[in-house]
Amino acid sequence: MNETVHDENVGKWTMVIDLDQCTGCQACVTACSMENNVAFVGEADAAYGRGMHWIRVVREWNGEMPDLTADFRPVMCQQCGEAPCEPVCPVFASTKSVPEQINLQVYNRCIGTRYCGNNCPYIARTFNWFDYERPEPLNFQLNPDVTVRSRGVMEKCTFCVQRIRRGEEDANAEGRPVHDGDVTPACAQACPAQAITFGDITDPESRVAKLARSARAERFLEEVGTEPRVIYLKGNGKVVREG
Amino acid sequence: MSDKLTRREFLKIAAVGTATASVLTGCGTAARYVTRKPYQDMPEYTLPGRSTFYATTCRECPAACGLIVRTVEGRAVKVEGNPNHPVNHGRTCSRGQATLQGLYNPDRLDGPISQSGGSPASPMTWDAAVEIVKGALISGGFTFLLGQTPHHLTDLISEISTAFGAPPPLNYGALGMFEGRATLLQAATALFGLPILPQFDLANADVILSFGANFLETWQSPVAYTRDYATMRGGKSGQRGYLIQFEPRMSLTAANADEWIPVAPGTEGLVAQALGKLVAEQMGSPVPAAFASADVAAAAQASGVAETELRRLARVFANSPRKLALPGGGALGHTNGLEAAQAILFLNVLAGNVDQPGGMSFQPLAAYNQGAAAATAFTGMQELVGRMQRGELKALFIHGFNPVFELPKSLGFTEALANVPLVISFASFPDETVALADYVFPDHTPLESWGYQKIAVGSEQAALSGSQPVVVPLYDTKATADVLLAALQAAGDNSLIAKVPYTDEVDFLQKKLAPLASEDGFYTAVTPKGFWAKWLQFGGWWKTGPSTMPLFAVNDQPLAVGVPEFSGGGEFFLLPYPHPHLGDGSQANRPWLQETPDQTTTVMWGTWVAIHPETADRLGVTDDDVVRVASSTGEIEASVYRYPGIRLDAAAIPFGQGHTALGRFAEGRGANPLAVVDSKLNAAGDLAFGATKVTITPTGKKQKLARYESRVGVYGYDK
Repeated sequence: MNETVHDENVGKWTMVIDLDQCTGCQACVTACSMENNVAFVGEADAAYGRGMHWIRVVREWNGEMPDLTADFRPVMCQQCGEAPCEPVCPVFASTKSVPEQINLQVYNRCIGTRYCGNNCPYIARTFNWFDYERPEPLNFQLNPDVTVRSRGVMEKCTFCVQRIRRGEEDANAEGRPVHDGDVTPACAQACPAQAITFGDITDPESRVAKLARSARAERFLEEVGTEPRVIYLKGNGKVVREG
Repeated sequence: MSDKLTRREFLKIAAVGTATASVLTGCGTAARYVTRKPYQDMPEYTLPGRSTFYATTCRECPAACGLIVRTVEGRAVKVEGNPNHPVNHGRTCSRGQATLQGLYNPDRLDGPISQSGGSPASPMTWDAAVEIVKGALISGGFTFLLGQTPHHLTDLISEISTAFGAPPPLNYGALGMFEGRATLLQAATALFGLPILPQFDLANADVILSFGANFLETWQSPVAYTRDYATMRGGKSGQRGYLIQFEPRMSLTAANADEWIPVAPGTEGLVAQALGKLVAEQMGSPVPAAFASADVAAAAQASGVAETELRRLARVFANSPRKLALPGGGALGHTNGLEAAQAILFLNVLAGNVDQPGGMSFQPLAAYNQGAAAATAFTGMQELVGRMQRGELKALFIHGFNPVFELPKSLGFTEALANVPLVISFASFPDETVALADYVFPDHTPLESWGYQKIAVGSEQAALSGSQPVVVPLYDTKATADVLLAALQAAGDNSLIAKVPYTDEVDFLQKKLAPLASEDGFYTAVTPKGFWAKWLQFGGWWKTGPSTMPLFAVNDQPLAVGVPEFSGGGEFFLLPYPHPHLGDGSQANRPWLQETPDQTTTVMWGTWVAIHPETADRLGVTDDDVVRVASSTGEIEASVYRYPGIRLDAAAIPFGQGHTALGRFAEGRGANPLAVVDSKLNAAGDLAFGATKVTITPTGKKQKLARYESRVGVYGYDK
């Protein structure tokens, strides 16, 4: 039964990020944290590498002044088809959600071995080293659709699964299939450059399916065989005009 | 709620709650003041588990992006962009996203405070507060010092000031200062006879020369310009657009540019003028008077850009079908800033792009956007400080602006404030100015407030953006407009009330908005009530199609862009700039903005001094070494960040940290570069914030910066 569902929906939800349009502004990082109740850890822990960001914008310097250039790449959980985090979890806390075919962390199964974090080539997972405080009334803004995580569990990008569920439920209530654009994760919704697109890649007419056919499409660290469901559109490169 | 409450009892209580809510929020006049409270007083149309969305306007910067706030059971849980809004088309920046951390900030002021004469802060009643304000208004000799938002308050206070025969309110703010807003307005006035901000159609441009315009971070309307930039990259003009950034530091905008030209600080105007001359020659058109005096060789010498490079750039610009030049704050904040602004604006005239796709245009002048870009020049602040020092000011009202933090220390505002007998702050947070005020009458935070914000740039359509409360005020705060109107009414002078005939803030807004109903907007309404309902529903009002105004005249006059002057004998040019996430510093109390990494350095929570690695080696310092940055006016200490994208003779420090107040997340963190900026002016009377030279000396101390990039693995940080 499960196999059938799996076969029908391989890599259904897909994100496409156009690196030529991404400016590296970090609006997605803040938006994600606001939507998903991501805790802030404070200066000392952030300096120690314990920041809980579910997305990070990787900035890469190339060359030296004056020919210095910078590249930006937002990296979140790549929702691997063959996810390295899954087989190493002794308690099946890192697992595929069958209906959405996305990789999710089951917080109340997680016992905090952190094997999954070690095995993730994208460094997409963050660990709750402490119960991070949200002084009142900052807790008023907590999103009721998203679990608040406590100390000792792993967490990571979920493709905003609560928004996927909401989109599916709303479509169901209206007795129609989910249309392209019904589901938008927080990062894609905020992105001022409109560089992030989200949708169902099995629908050939969807925006992501069209973008995925671009010659610029690539997957991050594709060579390690993770079959990511985030597709990057390469930057067009900088060609100096001679006039 | 007690654990032992039975379900039946709970339902009883819930029923009473609902009944109360419907009395409060039902039909009739009270419907204008809908209360949105959590749980016990939920409005009747709120369904548990379902979200309610309200349209309002972001006030984290003056750009006036439209927001849709998701509320669940009376609590605001998420901010999104308003998809219909003409400025941001449904998008937001990181500052907009974190607005909720202002609303729900644990360090907010929760009621009116008296701390007159240095006495410890004690709570007071709003009735007593209104009496104080009334007394100050009646005795005259007062001035209102306002920020760049919200505009409805500026309009109301202008009317009140006029009624009392007081000077008009002053509008100032660090964001406006760092983009040279007053300078740009004066340059536009000199060239086009119009004191309004030009807006730039980046989306349809092919080649953009940006002179220090950080439009991807904070400049003017960053969300709108980021969208335009992405469209330009997508090749809307026919081929992939081309961005050339002239800036001594590699900002985020420069990092995204196709070419980054690290010109010497303050020589942007010289480069613009030289390019103007070369472009005119290349295009075969007569050299305009504005560019006639340009000396290409001298500009190349001063800026450090080779003459052959200038000629190539001129060819790239001249041969492009759609060319555009942007006058950014980095170019305007120098002693030659006004002339630089004129030269850059005139490049657009030469390019023939005025009112063309991919060019420069002006929003039509109308009652609803009058004063949208209002910005007092720095000389206005100097005059105010002079009046304060001479004891001419009896009372100073401050709203939406933190002058003790946002003005350079060298101006002496803090010292002058001691000479003002009555200082009243309307701040929502305990900032540095609040600490020195006699009374604090906290306004609601933006998401609890009514209002409107005029749109200066960033929108194709002429528009007015509307604010409404998305939740009921959390604390015992009061809208400043209501406090002022109450004071006016308490004064009991009928001639005054006739001049400012509003019962309260909502009444003021409805009367001001009434003329819009007969304008050509995208919605119509038969009754004023109907118009108000749609205004709230859509989060503002705007025209159906693009609206611009043709230029009446272009004044081509000879222009002498001088060599920039600098104060202080230091070795390094100081480049202060607004922190991309903390803006004018008022967002430093939002923990998630502190923890969102800076885009190019990935630093969180702190202040850094960006110097080139070669410079650091020469000074014998490395990452995280604390250095003393000193000018003739002051000194600060901060950690070094070895930044590969900055000139060897410059040091860049972001503005936004260094708070001595503003709550637990902001206080005692980093340093404020305005402590070392000298109060030098340009010809527009605006602050030449880039005209200070500093020395950098190692202190031997080390303070580790929290940086994201050092995170080599989740657990991998080795020290």
